[in-house]
Amino acid sequence: MTLLYQPAAPDHVPPELIVDFDFFDVPPGVSDPVRIWHGLTERGAPPIFYTPRNGGHWVFLRYVDIVEAYRNHEMFSTRGAQVPPLEPYPVLQPNGVDPPEHDVFRKLLAPMFTPLAVRRMTDGLQRRAEGLIAGFADRGGCDFVADYAAKFPTSTFLELFGLPQSRLPEFLRISDTFFRSTDPEVRAANLQEIFAVLEELFRERDRSPGNDLASAIVQARDSEGRQHPWQDIINCGFLLFVAGLDTVTNTMTYVWRYLATSPDARAKFRDRLDDPAAFMIAIEELMRINAVSTIYRRVTHDSVFKGVQMRRNDRILLPNTIANRDATVFQNPGTIDLDRKVNNHVTFGVGPHRCIGSHLAKREIMISLQEWLRRIPEFELAPDQREASVFGGPVMGFESLMLRW
Amino acid sequence: MIVIANLKMCQGHARCEDLCPEYFATDAVEGKVVIASPEVPPELEEKVRLAVRNCPEGALRIAKGGAA
Repeated sequence: MTLLYQPAAPDHVPPELIVDFDFFDVPPGVSDPVRIWHGLTERGAPPIFYTPRNGGHWVFLRYVDIVEAYRNHEMFSTRGAQVPPLEPYPVLQPNGVDPPEHDVFRKLLAPMFTPLAVRRMTDGLQRRAEGLIAGFADRGGCDFVADYAAKFPTSTFLELFGLPQSRLPEFLRISDTFFRSTDPEVRAANLQEIFAVLEELFRERDRSPGNDLASAIVQARDSEGRQHPWQDIINCGFLLFVAGLDTVTNTMTYVWRYLATSPDARAKFRDRLDDPAAFMIAIEELMRINAVSTIYRRVTHDSVFKGVQMRRNDRILLPNTIANRDATVFQNPGTIDLDRKVNNHVTFGVGPHRCIGSHLAKREIMISLQEWLRRIPEFELAPDQREASVFGGPVMGFESLMLRW
Repeated sequence: MIVIANLKMCQGHARCEDLCPEYFATDAVEGKVVIASPEVPPELEEKVRLAVRNCPEGALRIAKGGAA
């Protein structure tokens, strides 16, 4: 393939494994950011390749390698794995540490995210979904991102943490800056603001605990009866903020974008409104096809993986969207089959760091779609979409999605 | 027919419970698979097989088993 420039790669990377690829860059005219991944094999990229962009990193393109990297935490660590390398970055609890250290906060959080715990949230989720949709259903159209997909997971976050819904505008503002701003000064101030909010929240719950996630984290005790280190508590709150908002927002946006253009799919989901099990099978397929996250890992020691020499601290990208359309695993991988029988997608990762919020995320999407279709059974893309509203990076998506009905 | 679950491999995706809640459940602490009564009723065999094939961790295995 032709490279516009010959970038520098470390000397352990053979030239035939180098591809010029910037996963933040969605070229003008590309209306779906996922496309930047799916042309790579056609461009001649080897299944494990190295790009010098964004500090330099490997990319895995095979399901089997991606899954192995997820599971092999002894070789592929989550600690300090950011691409491009960011120092210092908070050590996220529990996602930013490896087993066995990882198990402490994982076990602490697990009971609050089991299917049983998430089912108990159903009423609150339904009420808030219904309320948001009622706010614009009579208008005949909306910006799905601003009016729903950004608000709903953020309001769920407030509920989980026992915070009043009146703080929704404040949290929308700080999360929008966190996920979208590229200005280093704005980002630094924003991080300070987020940590100040978390500090205040956990201090308050430390003094007077309630029946919420923040209280559970701050009240938890280690095996010797002590509170967990304060910085870990704050960083755990930060993880839940980072992991649970933008991912759900953009997955929803992808799902609604697809449904807006597919009358058959809308009809299928409407037919299943009273059959939650069949509804969920169809949701899983939309999870497979709309995997917005690409995950980072860091190589822990010099080693050879699948015949490729890797060095300690090399960064790896695991694009879930690629794994989910691997033809060696999925029949007709490019076809959206809402009745797909076997669907081992990796949208929530696999192995010890499997997205702890996966059940909540799926339920948020399922309830949103049920409430939406009951109120707005038919909808389509508005002709006046905002240009240049797509973005790549670790979570791909859209800044806006204009719908009408 | 019985299903054997490897709890070290299970990461709590709960796909099995979604697909066949008549046979699979998940616990309230770690969210891992629980099989209360291992012998699969004949009418559930097909559903159970499908759930096993949908485990993203390959943590479920079908084995022959008679009444205990």
